[in-house]
Amino acid sequence: MASVHESLYFNPMMTNGVVHANVFGIKDWVTPYKISVLALLYEMTAAKISLLERRRLNKLILPLQQGPDLSLGQFLRTVEECCPQTAYAIKLRLQEMAEGELKDMEYFFSTLPTPFTAFDSEAYKTSVVGLFMRHMLLAYNKLSFSQVYKLYKSLQEYYHSHCSKPSEGQVSLSVLAADDSDMDLTSTEDTVGDRMESKALDTPLHLSELRIDNAPSKGPLSQKQAEYFLARQAYLMKNDENKALKPAELQEELNNMLKFNPDFAEAHYLNYLNSMRVQDIFLSTHSLLHYFDRFILSGNDGKSNGDEGYGRSLRYAALNLASLHCRFGHYQQADLALQEAIRIAQESNDHVCLQHCLSWVYTLEQMKGFDSTVLTEDSVKMAAQFCLPYLASLGIQSLVQQGATQGKTAHKLMDALKDTDILHWKHSLSELIEISLAQTTSIWRMYGKSTMALQQAQLLLNMSSLEPVNFGVQQNNTEAFAIALCHLAELHAEQGLYGAVSEILQHLKEQFPPHTQHAKLWMLCDLKIQFDRHMNKGKYLLAEPLVAAISALNKTEGLYRKAQVLKALNRSTEAHKILQQLQVHCERTKCTEIIIRAMLSMAEHHWESSGFSTALPLVLQALALAREHHLQALASETILHLAFTQLMLGVPEQALCVLHEAMEPILAHGAVLDKGRAMLLAARCQMAVAGFKPNGQGQPDLPLIRLAVASLNEAAAYFSKLNCKERLRDVSYLQAQLHRSLGQTLQSNKSSMLFRLLNQELQSPAPPVSMRL
Amino acid sequence: MLPPLSTKYTCSTLKETAFFKGASELAFALDPLPKDELPSPPPFTEEDARDLDAVTLAKSYFDLKEYDRAAYFLRACCSQKAYFLYMYSRYLSGEKKKDDETVDSLGPLEKGQVRNEALRELRVELSKKHSAGELDGFALYLYGVVLRKLDLLKEAVDVLVEALHALPLHWGAWLELSNLVTNIDMLKSLSLPDCWVKDFFMAQMYTELQMIKEALQKYHSLIQAGFSKSTYIISQIAVAYHNIRDIDQALALFNELREQDPCRIDNMDTFSNLLYVKGMKPELSYLAHNLVEIDKYRVETCCVIGNYYSLRSQHEKAALYFQRALKLNPRCLGAWTLMGHEYMEMKNTSAAIQAYRHAIEVNKRDYRAWYGLGQTYEILKMPFYCLYYYRKAHQLRPNDSRMLVALGESYEKLSQQGEAKKCYWRAYSVGDVEKMALLKLAKLHEQLNESDDAARCYMFYIQDIFSCAEQLEHAEVSTALRYLGQYYFKNKLYDEASLCAQRCCDYNDAREEGKALLRQISQVRDQTETPSADLFAPLSNNNTPVRRVSPLNLISFTP
Repeated sequence: MASVHESLYFNPMMTNGVVHANVFGIKDWVTPYKISVLALLYEMTAAKISLLERRRLNKLILPLQQGPDLSLGQFLRTVEECCPQTAYAIKLRLQEMAEGELKDMEYFFSTLPTPFTAFDSEAYKTSVVGLFMRHMLLAYNKLSFSQVYKLYKSLQEYYHSHCSKPSEGQVSLSVLAADDSDMDLTSTEDTVGDRMESKALDTPLHLSELRIDNAPSKGPLSQKQAEYFLARQAYLMKNDENKALKPAELQEELNNMLKFNPDFAEAHYLNYLNSMRVQDIFLSTHSLLHYFDRFILSGNDGKSNGDEGYGRSLRYAALNLASLHCRFGHYQQADLALQEAIRIAQESNDHVCLQHCLSWVYTLEQMKGFDSTVLTEDSVKMAAQFCLPYLASLGIQSLVQQGATQGKTAHKLMDALKDTDILHWKHSLSELIEISLAQTTSIWRMYGKSTMALQQAQLLLNMSSLEPVNFGVQQNNTEAFAIALCHLAELHAEQGLYGAVSEILQHLKEQFPPHTQHAKLWMLCDLKIQFDRHMNKGKYLLAEPLVAAISALNKTEGLYRKAQVLKALNRSTEAHKILQQLQVHCERTKCTEIIIRAMLSMAEHHWESSGFSTALPLVLQALALAREHHLQALASETILHLAFTQLMLGVPEQALCVLHEAMEPILAHGAVLDKGRAMLLAARCQMAVAGFKPNGQGQPDLPLIRLAVASLNEAAAYFSKLNCKERLRDVSYLQAQLHRSLGQTLQSNKSSMLFRLLNQELQSPAPPVSMRL
Repeated sequence: MLPPLSTKYTCSTLKETAFFKGASELAFALDPLPKDELPSPPPFTEEDARDLDAVTLAKSYFDLKEYDRAAYFLRACCSQKAYFLYMYSRYLSGEKKKDDETVDSLGPLEKGQVRNEALRELRVELSKKHSAGELDGFALYLYGVVLRKLDLLKEAVDVLVEALHALPLHWGAWLELSNLVTNIDMLKSLSLPDCWVKDFFMAQMYTELQMIKEALQKYHSLIQAGFSKSTYIISQIAVAYHNIRDIDQALALFNELREQDPCRIDNMDTFSNLLYVKGMKPELSYLAHNLVEIDKYRVETCCVIGNYYSLRSQHEKAALYFQRALKLNPRCLGAWTLMGHEYMEMKNTSAAIQAYRHAIEVNKRDYRAWYGLGQTYEILKMPFYCLYYYRKAHQLRPNDSRMLVALGESYEKLSQQGEAKKCYWRAYSVGDVEKMALLKLAKLHEQLNESDDAARCYMFYIQDIFSCAEQLEHAEVSTALRYLGQYYFKNKLYDEASLCAQRCCDYNDAREEGKALLRQISQVRDQTETPSADLFAPLSNNNTPVRRVSPLNLISFTP
């Protein structure tokens, strides 16, 4: 009995207590616009059109069929651009109908080529056009008398809204409008809808616009059109947010759609995605739950208590809720929702859902900052067992990420990535291919191989979209791209190519506007680059305010930078305290890079108090750590520190020896600053080995001194690239001394002058040369 | 106070049936006036005289629902009354056509788009006249209605307020306005004419905004002012009592109402809800039969029958009748929610969810539907998921303990004891209807080994149960006593412990334990003698005020 009632009640045609004509589930309805499209198709089959024009028209058909209803003006203009002759014919045909009588429209429908008979024409029943025509004919034939009359009236209106008013003789049709003058009055000063239409009329519409255009449709969309609209917006939102409608506009459009058809559950889901874009937790939760409340019913017809349709959506509902809370950083809530999803999935033995849950569990653990390697491994194994390639390789990627931070050997990681790549290409998981490339870039960068990183980043950026359907999107704008671009910017900044950097950042800003999800990535990158530039130039006071901004985006990074600034401003006690704090924090979160950096910074603190022997163990510890994790760039930097310490401890030969070890990787992959520092240090070691004394005493080893001069020149070239004045000052000081000892007075004077100029410019007293690297 | 006769007069010429009914009812409620005190009919202008025939003709057409025809014959008239009737028929004709169009629309998506085509024309004409200041009170009212239908809410409010200033006795305009006021701040910001009708309006608004106390105050003062016989006021007070779940009062009032006005159908669905809650089958059955005799095709009748079947556990039939009610009026909020409850009873959760969703669509502020959704998901064992819905319901009824208890239970299931404790305590503080919050709170404390808190909660619970005169069937006094006995025993307060144990023996399920405890106490007592004290003396002495809880029934039909 219950089921009978249910079917009675849940008849979707009964929402207003009235049964609608849509008994056979026809999703398309005849509208005046559709009649125009039919007219176009009719003309195309009937008339002789040149090949070129025919080609253009053919390209037009699909977007016209799928797109939202256009006004007649827009429609005719679009056709006119392809073939003026056809446009004229269509207009004539429509005029015939609109200014004639009802029978003219009926005649038009009867003359349409029937898809069932015309075997050789394009309108045969299996073709796209044929299908459309069949739909239309079926829908038309099903209209009741009053509906046909209504359609005819709206066709007249449609035609007249574009073309001039009918001549006096033909007014007779609009007898019903007793108060004709009133009608005219209203149509002139009418509400927003009509004004928009007239505005839209003025702007010609191109084919490209028609494809990508997001111009909100005026009238209600038919179900097909609505589905198409939703699918496109959702795709764009995922892959290229800029091309999707603006959040506010989309919201309006969706509200409109829901007003016309409150049962259209997918619109709620898009609403949820849209609210996520603007970080509106209230609305997004509301829409998500609403979607699932609706979906629970639409997903299954009648067999409501069946395990398949209904329970399934329940667990995915909980899972989605978990992901929502995750996105907003409500870890506890996410955890609870996840547990719920897991429990329901377990009860109904849904392994696929369980796998999804598991992958969320480890993501959540990771986000909370816990180690989730074991969980991830399990997830990968299970996913492979259930043949879920997406989840499996996502898990592997996450494992690789964890492995990289925990010091797994490079070849293992790369092997794993290569294996997943094979999987991706096999199943064409384009999204994961992108992630994989971005991940490789990051890993190479972490290992300090800038060339490889550069290459991988370029590979990703030059790859065209792999999606089977792309709505005019050339390249996806996903997180992977943002990451690759950020790496690119940082790599360029390291080489002192600031022009390129600003161009890349500009591009990032355009592609990922500040309100979007991935904007934080480039914001941090931008701030870091600015900070480094200020530090290099010695403008510490300018760098200081950036610290707060960096801390807002990344707390650890912010702390480290703060320590750096404080040290530069000679507030060593505070800096030291922060560094200690940082080290403790990072040891807990296993953030090796920052640990090493902090150690090096602390060693520098010890130098300042001439505690070179106390700095040594710190440096060695850092070196061990860097080597263990294969962080080549950091290891080289540590070696620089080590060499410097040794130099200061009075073993320059040893220092030079150690330095040679690091020289090669630094010159090959290192940043310009590091190169300069290495050369400067090399020169100083050489001077020390040569037995050079500033006051000209003793007999230095001249060939070695010449070598040192060459090194210094090279260092000067690097530093001037970065405009690193403090170091340049040091360099010219040393140069002056060396030249004098070599008896080259001219060069010596030149260097002295340079020193003096820089010194004046910098104002701050030069710290003793010996005290810094 | 001016009797509403003048309105009645005007309305009767214009025949706005619904308002006319209200005004006449009120007029009837008053003591009849002596003949010479009857207010003089409004002045009969020359224009009126000229248009008299046309208006009379049009009015007969209007009464026969031939609106276009009525409008046609009025098009040349120029008196205010004729103008209003002219515009009003055009408006109604548009509405009627809209309803007819809905059947014949060109597709499901167009369905929502069918609109009253006359509205825009009417708006243009009315706004012209409005800016020229040529509109009288009725025409202003119509203008307001038109604006509201066009979703120009702000303008509509302004125009309606203007209409009320022009014609404060027009209840229809007040009703329109009441649909537009969404919160108390907005209500306060309106500058309304100072008239006795305003009191009616305010009372109704208070009821709608769930400020029941204020509403009752207003209604009582109106009764004292002379409207004591008004059935309208009685029904409104009864509805207000229903809203605050003062069931007995409400029932008494409804019975009185039925005596005074036996053929009344309005508000009878609320009455049936009350009868349902009380489980009064014969009364409900009588009411249902009676209403079917009066008019079986009314929304209220269908709801009453639905309730009747539901009480008899024939849920399919009940759902059928609620469906019928919805066919009669798809925007009937109560029926959607009630149907949701029926589907819940039938364990058809998905259908229930959709019914509740429909209810929410009709009125987002329907807390019962939100609560129902929460319950549905709770049945589906999704405690976290249902939190959202309970929270929504709680937001709408912040002082309703049932939502709080439901929230607390969900939190408890999620093992968020802290939150759960807060919920239960809050539920107790706002006046717990079901008397479950304290017990649950005490059990929670017991679980968490917070024995002092648990004991205090049990004590409050016992106090609460005994202060409530009614006997509650699911009361767990024995549990509380048992725990208290053990607690006192552990704390070496043997007198209190023995008192509790003795009380325990009054209950079947705790008798054995009570006896055992008594034995234990006497054993310990033999060793040490302690001065005795009365258990319930400290209870009444302590400074927590003994709240007088209004005796309410526990089985609530609508959550």
